[in-house]
Amino acid sequence: MERRTNSPYPRLDRPVLAVIGLVLVLSTVLFTVGDRQHEWRYYQYAFRNTVSEKFGPDKAKTVASGLQQVWVPSLGRADRCMTCHQAVKWAGFESAEEPFRTHPKEILRSHPIEKYGCTSCHGGQGWAVDLDPAHGPVEHWEDPVLGASLGEAYGLVDNKSAMMQMNCNVCHRYDRETKGADFINLGKVLVRDKGCRACHTINSRGGTIGPDLTFVGDKAAEQYDFSRLNGQKTAFAWHVAHLKEPKGLVPDTVMPNFHLSTKEAQALATLIMSWRRSPVPAAFVPGVPHSDPRTPEEVVVEERMKTGPGAWFVSTGCFVCHSIKVFGITSPAQIGPDLSNAVEDVQARFGRTIDDFLASPTGTMSVVLSRQIILTPEQKQVAIGKLREAFAEYQKQKAAGTLKPAASH
Amino acid sequence: MSQKDRRDFLLRIGSTAGMCAIGYQGAAALRSLVPNVSYDAPTTVKVGLPSEFPEGLKFLPDLRLFVFREGNVFHAISAVCTHLGCTVRAEALPAPETKTVDGKPLRLTHRFQCPCHGSRYAGDGSNVAGPAPQPLAWYHLAIAPDDGQLVADLALQVDHDFRLTL
Amino acid sequence: MRALKLPSLPPDQEPGAPGVHPRPLWSLRPKSDRQAGDAVVSNFMLHWFPAKVSRASLDWNYSFWLGTVSAALLLLLVVSGGPLLFLYVPSVERAYSSIKDIEFAVTFGSWIRSVHRFGAHLMVAAVFLHMARVFLTGAYKNGIGQGQRREFNWVLGVFMLLATLLLSFTGYLLPWDQLAFWAVTVGTNIASSIPLVGPQVRELLLGGRAIDQPTLIRFYVMHVIVLPGALGALFVYHMWRVRKDGGLARADRAGRLPAPVAAAPVATKTYTLLGVARGTSPAVTTNRLVDEEATVNAVPDLTRRAAIVVLGTFAVLSAMAVLMRSPLEEPANALVTPNPAKAPWYFLWLQEIVTDTTVHIGSFTINGAFIGGVVLPGLIVGLLTVWPWLDRSPREAAGAWFPQTRRAQNITFLILTLAILILTLVGTFCRGPYWHFYWPWETWPDIPTRL
Repeated sequence: MERRTNSPYPRLDRPVLAVIGLVLVLSTVLFTVGDRQHEWRYYQYAFRNTVSEKFGPDKAKTVASGLQQVWVPSLGRADRCMTCHQAVKWAGFESAEEPFRTHPKEILRSHPIEKYGCTSCHGGQGWAVDLDPAHGPVEHWEDPVLGASLGEAYGLVDNKSAMMQMNCNVCHRYDRETKGADFINLGKVLVRDKGCRACHTINSRGGTIGPDLTFVGDKAAEQYDFSRLNGQKTAFAWHVAHLKEPKGLVPDTVMPNFHLSTKEAQALATLIMSWRRSPVPAAFVPGVPHSDPRTPEEVVVEERMKTGPGAWFVSTGCFVCHSIKVFGITSPAQIGPDLSNAVEDVQARFGRTIDDFLASPTGTMSVVLSRQIILTPEQKQVAIGKLREAFAEYQKQKAAGTLKPAASH
Repeated sequence: MSQKDRRDFLLRIGSTAGMCAIGYQGAAALRSLVPNVSYDAPTTVKVGLPSEFPEGLKFLPDLRLFVFREGNVFHAISAVCTHLGCTVRAEALPAPETKTVDGKPLRLTHRFQCPCHGSRYAGDGSNVAGPAPQPLAWYHLAIAPDDGQLVADLALQVDHDFRLTL
Repeated sequence: MRALKLPSLPPDQEPGAPGVHPRPLWSLRPKSDRQAGDAVVSNFMLHWFPAKVSRASLDWNYSFWLGTVSAALLLLLVVSGGPLLFLYVPSVERAYSSIKDIEFAVTFGSWIRSVHRFGAHLMVAAVFLHMARVFLTGAYKNGIGQGQRREFNWVLGVFMLLATLLLSFTGYLLPWDQLAFWAVTVGTNIASSIPLVGPQVRELLLGGRAIDQPTLIRFYVMHVIVLPGALGALFVYHMWRVRKDGGLARADRAGRLPAPVAAAPVATKTYTLLGVARGTSPAVTTNRLVDEEATVNAVPDLTRRAAIVVLGTFAVLSAMAVLMRSPLEEPANALVTPNPAKAPWYFLWLQEIVTDTTVHIGSFTINGAFIGGVVLPGLIVGLLTVWPWLDRSPREAAGAWFPQTRRAQNITFLILTLAILILTLVGTFCRGPYWHFYWPWETWPDIPTRL
């Protein structure tokens, strides 16, 4: 058997292979470690401990672990904020430090997280799971969280967290006034009082002397002329400066100086930046009718039926077939006779009292009272009482001559 | 240790480490396909305030769930037929009956029938006729601590003695 | 009876019958020349290697193993593309968010994506360097072998270069961010400057008149099926031709003896009746043309080096992916052009030329896009393709670095490469907002933001 020819290469090649192996192992360890090291793991651990201290270890076991996501298909948002901000849905942490603070309850009643996500109101990058990319701004994500730190950076007067209202107005832009959005409301008042629409088209209405501002919030930052602006080169800063002194930024403008205070200018700038094309589904926009409209008279009649003296007949469903005209109850179907004078009518037709009739009804009523509207004995007593009240009213109106014609069937 | 032995040892260690690293990276590629976040609909769902639920039964079509109320006592039964997953229909009983279920009394006002293959269930969800192999599932109900709404947990099945009493 | 003594087998090294394995993994670590030879016919993964290679072919400083590096990168791109295939969604509504998911929510997702992205960039560079090496050593020329067709292999290589560039370009669009969207806008607008058929070519590329869902799905299918398939087919053809042409160009003359030397007679397998009876066998006399010491067994020497190169490429790529992040810019917005909008780095030299070559002759304008984007690359690719037939240097110049007879063409090639390199560097580092020229020490102005 021939031996294997000697070759000089192994002596040179083996160390190289060893180094390569080392680099491979090292990079594998590094990327594994990099994957495990996220701030959210620490925050979840800390929160679990806090819950354990405050509510006991059993409750602490119910704290979720791992990435938490709220997926809102209609808005296309996958928000992972609650991975760190786990206390949002827990009661009892109202005065804790972020990210362990409970969310204010009032707003969540009308804007539940499952329906809105987090970033549609707060801004930021919902996909991110690390602090800096999530809060922003970072390179290539220029929508930061519209919170107190941004407000501090801009020196917002009074309420440092007011910038968030910019996102409120994306849906609420056609409200005249939005509860809880004082900064935006101030801006809207100013638009009306200062007559901006004389020159600018705003929300599709207004003049054409100045540019159309309906979607100015979408204007790219680089389209603004920053050559005369000192300080940060942002669209928001441009608007604030422009509102305070138009000629300072655009020398040949005809826009007058309205002598706005800083707060007013900031409120208007926030409002202006909120005017964006934002394709939210109609269900999210307030004021979109969810039902066909009623005239004011119809509203009054319906309210009276629901809360007036005949309300009991509405809540039980009797009014579906029977009107009780004396109480203002009009039946939609009018299958049975008007119950205003049932006391004498039942006597006349069946030769029985209403107590007797309700106890053992005949004809259609026997079917209805045994299958569809099942009244307990107590409810039957109430019915009898109400019918007697109706009859008393009937006799009163008859005597006074104010009786409306009885419904016929 | 002789030169050759040492070299062999290093070679062995080096190649084992290298192969492990590569194997691990292959496994890492597979691990990346195990999802960390869920795009499924959430399984704990707020279904409304208790005051919005009438006496008797309310059907929630999006969740395929019947919520029963008797005074202040609630329980929830799934409307998903255990045969092949159609949504069952509730049929009012001519007269309500009371049955002892899992040691506790239960007032039954309805029974269930599946339109697809004719499975029938009694008012407590137990399968009484047709191809259904299992009773209808009962799901956990709770009250949300933040706004007091009823919360149905569709990932947590409970026994037939479960009641949520307010 | 005089029998030809057959070689005897030491008891611990019997070769066994073909297909019977003396030890596990014997084909990777053969203990004898016989086993080394058997390895390349018994092991599927080794079947494309010869049994013996010339030592000259294995030198690091001849070929730098750039072809192997390119192949290794292709393999890694396919392997890293696998998980990405499962995780990426090629729809304009979901592409960007699926990549954000890969970056943030998928375990090891950002590493896998970085491996893929840096592998793509490295492959374009490696393929170009490999082509440069082949040109500079004249390895596209036929040597002294029979039936060599190295010029054809060179043409295959040019096509593989184009396939690589197209793979990179189609992959560039998939994240659907601003970088992707505008890079493809620039590229397809250049295509539309082709006379007569330009706009139709652009419509065919885009699946419409604007970059939208049809474009994305077209580029996706090209990137995932059509181009990898084509590149794979070209690759196997390329390797087959390398073997048919006798290996690397340098190997033609490596270890060649000045005159044939008689070798020991080799036993044949033909048995005559007399031979069986007498225990003798006819033998064949043969000459050796190549010095024995000039060749080594392919297994393990060639395979060890190939393993070094593949694993080394893998290690470098893995380390790069850990240390550097892959960018993902803002979501694609057709209404906002980023400032500046640049083509991928391997096309930046073309973009430089495109911006500088718009020519006005009187009232007649020749579009720079046409000159720089269509004519110039077309000329270059055409010239490259036919160069083996235009080359007039002698056969001896094949397989040598900087031979005297090919000095002029080598220098020209190097000058052109340097020009392309300089243009690429200028385009990367010296072109700032508005495509203004900035010296490297000048700072670029801040790009304004919304908030």
